Amino acid sequence: MKKLTSKWEGYLFVIPAILFMLLLIGYPLIYNIVLSFQDVNLSNLANDSNQFVGFENYKELANEEAFGISVKNTIIYTVGSVVFQIVIGFILALFFSMKFRLADFLRGFIMISWLIPLTITALLFKFMMSSGVGIFNQMLLSIGFIDDPIPWLSDPKIALWGIIIANIWVGIPFNMLLLSTGLSSLPEDVYESASLDGANWFQKLIYITLPLLRPVILVVMMLGFIYTFKVFDLVFVMTGGGPINSTEVLSTLAYRFSFNEFEFSLGAAAANVLFLILFVVSLIYLFIIRKDEEA
Amino acid sequence: MSRRKERLLNVIGIVIVLIFIFPVFWMIITAFKSQKEIFQTPPTLWPQDFQWSSFVEIFQNGIGQYFLNSITISGLTTILVLFLAVPSAYGLARFNIKGKGSMILLFLVTQMLPATVILTPLFIMFNNFSLLNSYWGPVLSCATLGVPFSVLILRTFFIGIPKELEEAARIDGCGRLEAFIRVIIPISYPSIIVCGAISFFFSWGDLIYSITFNRNQELWPLTAGIYNAVGRYGIEWNDLMAFATVSILPVIVIFVLLQKQLVKGLVSGSIK
Repeated sequence: MKKLTSKWEGYLFVIPAILFMLLLIGYPLIYNIVLSFQDVNLSNLANDSNQFVGFENYKELANEEAFGISVKNTIIYTVGSVVFQIVIGFILALFFSMKFRLADFLRGFIMISWLIPLTITALLFKFMMSSGVGIFNQMLLSIGFIDDPIPWLSDPKIALWGIIIANIWVGIPFNMLLLSTGLSSLPEDVYESASLDGANWFQKLIYITLPLLRPVILVVMMLGFIYTFKVFDLVFVMTGGGPINSTEVLSTLAYRFSFNEFEFSLGAAAANVLFLILFVVSLIYLFIIRKDEEA
Repeated sequence: MSRRKERLLNVIGIVIVLIFIFPVFWMIITAFKSQKEIFQTPPTLWPQDFQWSSFVEIFQNGIGQYFLNSITISGLTTILVLFLAVPSAYGLARFNIKGKGSMILLFLVTQMLPATVILTPLFIMFNNFSLLNSYWGPVLSCATLGVPFSVLILRTFFIGIPKELEEAARIDGCGRLEAFIRVIIPISYPSIIVCGAISFFFSWGDLIYSITFNRNQELWPLTAGIYNAVGRYGIEWNDLMAFATVSILPVIVIFVLLQKQLVKGLVSGSIK
């Protein structure tokens, strides 16, 4: 009897949050899939008798020039961001893992770029990258690195990289923190015996640190991919997808269809493509951490 | 480590941090410059003519209302998140209920979802329940970011609390719920506050939910306000940067306070 009540009590603790998430995430997720097979726009939003149109929205999507561009941009953006975030984050984690006096104090400061609202970061970098008064161009001009100001966000060829630079700045603390935690858990005796065998700093890095840290690096990479792939705010505020679609990513494209053109079903289809890719990557991620836990 | 190496590392560390936080410095310093000085070459690292007029300007243009909205939305979100996540994390830590594994998986996976996937359905749902143009749209949606995060963090923390504590309380005649409220919650304050602060940050940074669900600008938070102000201020970067500076102020304040809480949490954790 006692066991039964305690079991029910457990559900009472857990259920409210589960219901909340099912209602506000689970249901919309399914709704979004249904929506992508219907034809809902602003004019027929109110009535419930929406016809199923099969894969029409997905066909229309595939024919949109902006769709192909946005898939390509999302991939370039994600890979570009994640690679630099991990490399810089790793270098910083290595540096701050040396136990000098100000290490912990200084490392705390770096968290700041992660805490600032993305909208603010986006505007800040837009300011720093502006052609006329931007500090980026001013600095590069003054050291003679360039002769003419770089049109960071207004040239279709480089605008995406402008946003990637802003995103690298945002993502460094997250990468550094996870990698620092990984570094601090490495066994010290391995390094000691390597020192006895005469291994230098670089050899220890290549033959001990990197192999031992491989699982952590893999997890950081997957998480970075997942969080970067769904980018919205930075692109939306810095360029709005322009100039001429050159920085359009999947989430801004989905937003544009749904809330500028009010083609809700087309927007839902674009969002589902984004979701499908993330879902597959998340499954791989879950598989990796589960294997980690078993090992 | 030799003293020379130690000193060198400290100096390099300071230089790295200065370079890294330069954008934030540049934002704040620009807010105090005159429009003329911003267009000056070479740029000045410190305002020649230190002025507050940009701050006066943005307050006259109603940043106060945006600020209050941000506080309201983030405050309500944080309360809602803790109200849902703390008991849930406790339940998942202490009870052997059916489907526990898939519930934890649910929280793990929802964290990875992009807002754009649920945006359109939520818009239609809120429309049907007349929740558009109210604080509830952004509050409910932002809570979906904080809840899974807090549940996962707090669950790990609760697992670490010795069961004997509650058992002692129950021998003294407390029910499960009473033991939870009077014993578990008080000793978990540091972790709960950390989760609350992070939920607050999530919500403070939201742009997409507010501009989508609320066409009524009087309900907009700072992020939506500054996004809108880009059109109004154009290239008056000092005004925009003043707006940005005010927007990050609470985040900085909480961050400084949170660091203390983190230390406290670590200390109380090591005493136990």
